[in-house]
Amino acid sequence: MTTVRPIACGTKRPSRPATRGVPTRENLLKRTGRRVAAVALAAAVVTSTGHARAQERKSAPLPVLSPAAAAAFWVAAQLVPSPLLVAGSAGLGAGMRWQLTPLVYSFGVEARPLRAFVIEPVARHSGAIELFVSPEWACCAAHERSSWLARAGARIYVPLLLSGESLSGSLGGSYYLADHEHGGSVELGLYTLSSIVGLTVTVSPTLEGREVTTALALHYY
Amino acid sequence: MKAPYSLLATLLLLLCSCGSVMRAIGRNFALPEEPSKLAHRVHDARRPDARLSVLWIGHATALIQMDDAFVLTDPVFTRSLGELSPRLVEPGMAPADLPPLAAVVISHMHLDHLSFDSLAMIEHKTSVVLVPPGVRASMPRYAFSSHELGRWQSYDAGGVRVTAVPVRHLGGRWGVDMAWRPRAFTGYVLEHHGLSVYFAGDTAFDADAFAAVRAHFPALDLAVLPICPMQPRVHMRRVHMDPAEALEAFLLLGARQMVPVHFDTFINSDDEPGACPRVLRQVMAERAIGAERVAILGIGEQRVLVPR
Repeated sequence: MTTVRPIACGTKRPSRPATRGVPTRENLLKRTGRRVAAVALAAAVVTSTGHARAQERKSAPLPVLSPAAAAAFWVAAQLVPSPLLVAGSAGLGAGMRWQLTPLVYSFGVEARPLRAFVIEPVARHSGAIELFVSPEWACCAAHERSSWLARAGARIYVPLLLSGESLSGSLGGSYYLADHEHGGSVELGLYTLSSIVGLTVTVSPTLEGREVTTALALHYY
Repeated sequence: MKAPYSLLATLLLLLCSCGSVMRAIGRNFALPEEPSKLAHRVHDARRPDARLSVLWIGHATALIQMDDAFVLTDPVFTRSLGELSPRLVEPGMAPADLPPLAAVVISHMHLDHLSFDSLAMIEHKTSVVLVPPGVRASMPRYAFSSHELGRWQSYDAGGVRVTAVPVRHLGGRWGVDMAWRPRAFTGYVLEHHGLSVYFAGDTAFDADAFAAVRAHFPALDLAVLPICPMQPRVHMRRVHMDPAEALEAFLLLGARQMVPVHFDTFINSDDEPGACPRVLRQVMAERAIGAERVAILGIGEQRVLVPR
């Protein structure tokens, strides 16, 4: 009976029995057989590992976003409001603003300057004029009037740092329509992160109770 | 409250809210820090002793000299990727030190390959920028002209023939647009004076694509291949090669030499800095491929691969 002892790392392999090296006919036949088997095994291993490697290296499926899913995502993104900080004669308050962009003329892009509704960030921050429509809810409407109002206007974007991806600015004007009120507004904005995030200050001198509105502007497409 | 006071109050609140917003951004995206400085930067890339040399500027940005012509790949010189991912090491060459370029090639629109600000920094260094299909409309306007190259299309840029070749990756830049640009990614083969260089940009392992490139370009002198990111592998393997796959791709392409790129420059994966080249060295040892075939460069290091 043979006892198999584990070989620890660093320990010396036990020496083979002395008879194994003796060149008898039986030993030579065994050795030749073992060599043939070893060569065959090696060939099989090489072939199979090549095959296994090819199998293992098979391309994984690419992540896919269908146009329908992208469209749904775009709609969802438009529903995310930009939070507002409202300051006026009635004090401070909060609000929300959404934006739709029916048309952008981008004078800063290499090709396809006109876009509608689906607006890539670069089409804004590289320099553009956009028309926008903004439903807005803001607190502190005077005399129990509705807090909802709608704005329609235009703004011009300009890159402030290189391509504008890191920092761009805007200057715009809009006309608001509120409950029994209407008038004009001017606004100034600064944007970063590809113009997806920005801060805008809108001044509406005649919008009682909500003269100054600051927005954390979120425009994802 | 009168309007001037309202405005003042608003501005004060704005300043306060700026702090919290910036902290939030910082927590989530790691605000850019100062990238570590290189001990030596190359200021003159022209190597008279070289027919083919490569200077690894960082990430996928490599300056390739083919005799008298220079081509720059996926130039990114900014301190962060879109203000999100900070640069770890400064670029191996300043944009102002770049030689006149025969062409700049852009592989796709991801922030770590198409940097609008970096193109603005080098817009007077080249007259031609080559991009994948559908990308021009998403680029700012520069002084150079840009051309879209579809798969297997070629363009002669100052004597350098640039051919777009298939790779396996994703188009888009801002997430949702990957659905609208299903083919806005490519690799390139550059040919000049009998030399040929393959640049993958980003790609997952795609044996068919590599075999097709080899069939068209059977004697590539160099393959510039991405080896990172590796982790999380379950996601990355669909769009990125790990070092073992990159080495396999190198063998499938039949190129004489390989320069690995796309590692240790920005944080864009779960990989520890140094992990990808370490794994590459292990795989090279396992497959008995030596440093004479795979040149692992440091950022800012230039290597002559084919001497005159």
